[in-house]
Amino acid sequence: MIDLKGKKILITGGAGFLGSHIVRVLVGRGVSESLIVVPRFETHDLRKRSACEAMVDGVQLVVHAAGTTGDAEFHRDHPAEIIHDNLVMGVELMDAARRAGAEKFVAIGSATEYPENAPLPYREENLWTGAVASSHAPYTIAKKMLLVQGQAYRAQYGFNAVHLLLTNMYGPGSETRKGFVITNIIRRILGAQREGKAYIEVWGTGQATRDFLYVADAAEGVVQALEAYDDASPVNLGSGWEISIRELTELIARLMGFEGEIRWDKEKPEGPPRRMLDITKAERAFGFSPKTTLAEGLKATIAWHVANSQ
Amino acid sequence: MIDLKDKKILVTGGGGFLGGHVIRALLAHGAQEKDITVPREGEYDLRKEEDCTRAAEGQHLVIHLAAKVGGIGFNQTNPGELFYDNMIMGARVVHAAHRAGVEKILLLGTICAYPKFTTVPFKEENLWNGYPEETNAPYGLAKKALLTIAEAYRAQYHLDAIYLLPVNLYGPGDTFDERKSHVIPALIRKIADAKKKGDNAIEAWGTGRATREFLYVEDAAEGIVSALLRYDKSDPVNLGSGMEISIKDLVGLICRLMDYQGKIRWDATKPDGQPRRRLDVSRAEREFGFRAKTDFEGGLAKTIAWYHASLAS
Repeated sequence: MIDLKGKKILITGGAGFLGSHIVRVLVGRGVSESLIVVPRFETHDLRKRSACEAMVDGVQLVVHAAGTTGDAEFHRDHPAEIIHDNLVMGVELMDAARRAGAEKFVAIGSATEYPENAPLPYREENLWTGAVASSHAPYTIAKKMLLVQGQAYRAQYGFNAVHLLLTNMYGPGSETRKGFVITNIIRRILGAQREGKAYIEVWGTGQATRDFLYVADAAEGVVQALEAYDDASPVNLGSGWEISIRELTELIARLMGFEGEIRWDKEKPEGPPRRMLDITKAERAFGFSPKTTLAEGLKATIAWHVANSQ
Repeated sequence: MIDLKDKKILVTGGGGFLGGHVIRALLAHGAQEKDITVPREGEYDLRKEEDCTRAAEGQHLVIHLAAKVGGIGFNQTNPGELFYDNMIMGARVVHAAHRAGVEKILLLGTICAYPKFTTVPFKEENLWNGYPEETNAPYGLAKKALLTIAEAYRAQYHLDAIYLLPVNLYGPGDTFDERKSHVIPALIRKIADAKKKGDNAIEAWGTGRATREFLYVEDAAEGIVSALLRYDKSDPVNLGSGMEISIKDLVGLICRLMDYQGKIRWDATKPDGQPRRRLDVSRAEREFGFRAKTDFEGGLAKTIAWYHASLAS
C-alpha cells in the first residue's frame, strides 16, 4: 500500500472530466495540491518527448488520464489523429516516467478495449479473444498498447505499471464529452422543456443495456488502484450493474419532471446490444465498491447541466 | 502500377539483412541508386520525431523495414525495449511520411502478430482472434498496431499505406550473432562451431516438435517490391512460402547439408515458442502475383555457403 502523502503525483488530463475528480480524491486523501502536477496542453504537448520528460521530472507517481477522444462522428473523421496522439503520448510518457525513476504508472484504459465478441459480463481474461469494434479501433488499439507496454516494462525493468479498464462514466462536468448518452438525454429534455415541446427523440430501440459509473466513484477506484494494486493484469472499473437505455431515459425524465413523450427512433444505430463489466476483480484486489446510486448520480448530473446550460 | 524511375525512396532498415536485398530488388525494378535513401544508425534515430521528419522530407515512397528484433532468448529478456522501439518508430515514421506528403508507405509487420492458437494455415482475417505467443507478444503486438495506424491514416488522409506480414526469413546476410540470431543462423553457427571443435553433440532449444515456415530473403524482397508496385489496399497481406517444417527435421536437414554426424541434445526446459506456423499465401498471389521461388534446401545451401565465406573473409 502506497502512502500518497508527500508524493509528487502527475495527473495527465487532470483538468478533464475524470482527471479533475481524481485530483479531488487525492486532495481528500491529504495530498498537498502543491504536489499534484497537471500538465496544460498549451504549455506541454505530451506528443513531444521533451514535454513528457519535463512533466515526469521529480515525479513519483503518474496517472495517465489524458486522451484524445470524442463522439462517433469525431472517431469517424479523425482516426489518424486519434491513434497517433494517444499512442505517442502514452508510449512516450510511460517511457519517460520509467527512465526518470517513477515508482508507479497507472494508465486509464477503456471498456472499448474489449473485443466485439467478448462474453458478457466482460472479464479481464477475455480482452484478447477477437477484434475490437472497427469504429473505435484507432482509439482502442492506442489504449491497449499501453497495457502491452506496461506488461513488457514490468517484465524487463520491474516497472510498476498498472492498466485500468473504465466503463462509460457520467457525472457533473461531462459536457466536454459530446455523444455520451446520459448527457444527450439530459440536454434533449432541457431543450424540450425550454421550447415547450411535448416530446423528445432518442436514438435506437432503447433495449440496449449499458453499465454507467459515476465519475467520482471512478476517480475513487483509480486512486485505490494507485495505492494498492501492483499487478501486470488489467482491472475493470464499472458500476457492477446494467440498465436499458429505455429505463434510463424514463428515470431521467422522471427526475427532471418531464412528462412528455419519449419517441424511439428505431432507424438510428444504438451500438452493441449489451455492455457490462464484471468488477469482482477490482473488489477483491483493492476493495473497489462504487457508492453512488444511479438516482443520486443523475440528480447531481442534472443539477450541473441545469446550472451550466445557456 | 508505380514506375520506380525518378522516385525518391526511403528504405528504413535498408542497411539490415532484409533491407540490403530489398534495395537490390528495387534497383532491379528500375529504381536508381541515387534516389534511394537509407537512414543510417548514428545519423538518424527513428524513435525521434525530428529524425523521422528529416528522413521523410522530399521522399515519394517509404518502405519501413527498420525493426528491433531477436530470437526467443532476446525477446524474453528485452520485451520493454522491443515494444518501445518498434512502436514509437512505426508511429513516428508513418506520421512523418504523411506530413511529408509521400505517395505511398509500405509497413512490415511480422508473423509474431498472429495469435498463438489459430487455424493453420494462418489467414489474414484471423489476425486479431487471440493473444500472440507470450515470448514475442510485445514485439508482435507493437508491429500489429502498425496495421491499425495504416488503416487510420488511409481513412483520414488517404495515405496509401499498405501492410505485409512476412514469415521467418533466412538467407545470406542474416545475423549470426548468438544473442540475436533466429533459429536457422543459430543452428548453422552451432554446427560449424561443433565441427571446428570436434564436438560430437550439439544442444538445441525446446522439444523440436514446433513447426515453422521459412521464406528465403531474396523472395521476401521480391514480394515487398511487388506489393509496393501493385498493391493499394489497407487489408494486411501474408508474405510466405507456404512450406512448413518441424524444428527437428530442420536440424536434421542442416546437419546433412553441413555434413555433421554428431548427436542433437534437446533442451526441453527451453521454450519452443509458437507450436505451429504456416501462412496462407493466397492473398499475395491474388493481389500482386507474388509466389516464392526458392526451394528450401537450395536456400539453406546458399545460406551455409555465405556463412562459411563470411568467416573466411
